[in-house]
Amino acid sequence: MASVTTNGQDRDPVSLFEIHRRQMIRDRMIVNVTLGVVFLGFLLWSLWISRFTPDRLATGLPRIFEYFGSVMPSLQWDVLFDGRNEAGRFPAGSIGYWYNDFWKYLRLIWETILMALTATILAIGLAVALSFIAARNCTPFPWAGVLARRFLEFCRGVPEILFALVLVFAVGIGPLAGVLAITIHATGALGKLFSEVNENASMRPVDGIKAVGGSWFEQMRYGILTQVLPNFTSYALWRFEINVRASAVVGFVGAGGIGAELSHTISFYSDDRVTAVLLLVVLTVTIIDLVSERARHSLIGKESLR
Amino acid sequence: MLEFKGLTKQFNSTVAVKPATFTIPDGQMVGIIGRSGAGKSTLLRMINRLNEPSGGQMLFQGRDITALKGRDLRQWRNECAMVFQQFNLVGRLNVITNVMSGRLFHHGFASSMMGIFTAKERAFAIRALDRLGMAHVALQQTDTLSGGQMQRVAIARALVQEPRIMLADEPIASLDPLNAKVVMDALRAINRQDGLTVICNLHTLDTARQYCDRIIGMQDGVIVFDGTPKELTDRAAREIYGAEAEEAFSEAMTSTALHPQPVAQPEARVVN
Amino acid sequence: MSTLTFHAISDADIAAARKRYPKAFGDPFVATLKAASWAFVIVYLIWSLGFFEIGKLLSASDRAWALMTRMVVWQDMATWQYANIYKGIAQTIAMAFVGTLLGTIFALGLAFLAARNTMPVGLFRHAVRRLLDVFRGIDQIVWGLVFVRAVGLGPLAGVLAIWISDMGNLAKLYSEAIENIDRKQVEGVRATGADTGRIIRYGYLPQILPVFISLSLYSFESSTRSATILGLVGAGGIGMIIIERFRAGLFDQVAFVVLNVLVVIAVIDWGSGLIRKRFIGERGH
Repeated sequence: MASVTTNGQDRDPVSLFEIHRRQMIRDRMIVNVTLGVVFLGFLLWSLWISRFTPDRLATGLPRIFEYFGSVMPSLQWDVLFDGRNEAGRFPAGSIGYWYNDFWKYLRLIWETILMALTATILAIGLAVALSFIAARNCTPFPWAGVLARRFLEFCRGVPEILFALVLVFAVGIGPLAGVLAITIHATGALGKLFSEVNENASMRPVDGIKAVGGSWFEQMRYGILTQVLPNFTSYALWRFEINVRASAVVGFVGAGGIGAELSHTISFYSDDRVTAVLLLVVLTVTIIDLVSERARHSLIGKESLR
Repeated sequence: MLEFKGLTKQFNSTVAVKPATFTIPDGQMVGIIGRSGAGKSTLLRMINRLNEPSGGQMLFQGRDITALKGRDLRQWRNECAMVFQQFNLVGRLNVITNVMSGRLFHHGFASSMMGIFTAKERAFAIRALDRLGMAHVALQQTDTLSGGQMQRVAIARALVQEPRIMLADEPIASLDPLNAKVVMDALRAINRQDGLTVICNLHTLDTARQYCDRIIGMQDGVIVFDGTPKELTDRAAREIYGAEAEEAFSEAMTSTALHPQPVAQPEARVVN
Repeated sequence: MSTLTFHAISDADIAAARKRYPKAFGDPFVATLKAASWAFVIVYLIWSLGFFEIGKLLSASDRAWALMTRMVVWQDMATWQYANIYKGIAQTIAMAFVGTLLGTIFALGLAFLAARNTMPVGLFRHAVRRLLDVFRGIDQIVWGLVFVRAVGLGPLAGVLAIWISDMGNLAKLYSEAIENIDRKQVEGVRATGADTGRIIRYGYLPQILPVFISLSLYSFESSTRSATILGLVGAGGIGMIIIERFRAGLFDQVAFVVLNVLVVIAVIDWGSGLIRKRFIGERGH
């Protein structure tokens, strides 16, 4: 093939390409080196600020292994499934001994799940209502939309445990503070997701209901809600999973559920009771995740949720 | 009688509809024609206030429509039903619920939110569907229907509103010729049998000529023609459509023609 | 059929329509089911709120009101020790960064061990996955408490907590990304006669790298959020300042700190959005 003519100059394609390539590499190099320097600088700063130094790590790591060693249960095969002995106690090394407080844990886990469920239901109600006001294409008054979006941002921005801290002070120690804290945070998170779904909904049915003489509520109920309901359900289930995790830790500040027991056990004992509670919490969370994930996937294609 | 007194619509700096003054007597079937962007749709959507007029007045039986607010406005929208190009039905509801949604205005808050409809409403909706030959799909989910079926459902929804005026915004632009004919026949039947005023935006000249008592031609937001189909000469039509004339004419003869046999072959367009 | 008005619909008309289309008049079974499920939800809600002693909300309103007023009325702003506050925020960011970076590095290795297409030994793969489940199943703040017990109060415990929970999260997401890889591209590289190293470099890396970077950035964002509360259990960062001042009843300062944290988090979200755009273009993840 003949050489390419550009601007009247004869340049063969290879040398032209080489010029472009060198230019590109040079540009990229500058950007990459700058980014690398910034990254390294930030890393060094972070290490210094968080006092994450090798000597601290060196003294810390053995203690971690030591700690984990001490909280592991010492199970013995020959007595593993033994029941209570004459004195009414489980023999050391049996599962019964490890899970001496099993029923107490179970009651607390039950409370934890109920807290999450109640908070999720309340949050769904609030989030659905607010999402229609917050969505730009649905809002009845633009100023109300701005207000609702700011409110949701605030609810979402503050972690539930902080809300719980404040609410425990306001309404006293107990699960109510936890339920309210999780409700507020979940309302923010769900409200934002819901309003984004609303914003992606087709406005044609809304126009149709509007032309029929439907009120704003009817436009939302028939025009939008029917379109977004599967997504709402899927997000709500997903939020329930997260709320179960959250309600397991709000007890750290006294807001009910297994968290108080968890925090108490970890803070005051370093024996197998720690792993006993932790294992139960992990199991609960995992089982709920699995069930809810299955429900979500059967409800809506796998791809619609990241 | 629907009176327009200098009705205008302005979007930011562009004027979509320049002051329009005309009158539509009761029971007339009016076709509004013009090329896309001529302001037909805006004019129509101003009648039921889906687009808010920026100036002028609209009177229906002497009542000022442009000043209506809140419940009065919704009552007016209930009185003048609209059929859309894209049907604007609620796809995930079944057909009969879509049709019954035409009666939402008469519902209280609780019953409409819970989606409770009376047996009378259900029977009425079935009658309306039956009139359009769609009663057999009453329980299907709406978005499983074809375009022509959806438009007929939309007309049924409009009918259960018991409107006094029927607005149709390009009702056949998304349909194939056969369905277009069914839909236009239905609109004309409603006009003739029920005595409803029908105002219909149409892109194709031929349809307007065949179905309407009166044709209004719009160009760049101005009404440039207002008369009977007979008065609309080819020259006048060419003027309305301007650069799109060939398209509008040939489209009338091919794609959306309502005649059983095509008059010309598509190759004819290549010559131009 | 000709015109028919709504008011003219008689009982006979209804009966006739019902006879022709009985299902159009509502399925009593479905209606009952619907009503029952709504009733169940409402009854549960009322019962559970009673169980959680919702009444306390009313009796606590004075206390809550006092708390609210003290949060919005800011007093003695000169004595708020701003340096400590901003040092705490900086420490939170630093903890999140170091923790996420360590989590990313370790997750890279674990992800290939947990992905079906890169780890053929099923038993080992499942063991790795269960381990990751444990890392993820325990909340970050619980890890924080555990590490505080193990290595003492301070940011080291926080970094370790972020490290371990990010490692669990990222390794799972990375392994999913590896499993979702487009095999055709890998085959294309293999067809050029490339060795294993080159197959990974040109077949796998270009596909997974943008996803990995994006996931790690998301992880950094969420770690900054969660790192703010790690201090509540003594694992360093701004949370320690929040809880100290809350316990001391300095509610106005707590409100100020929380507002600052919200702003910082918003800035970080914005910044990482920019970086994400630069590395992986507009398509996001």
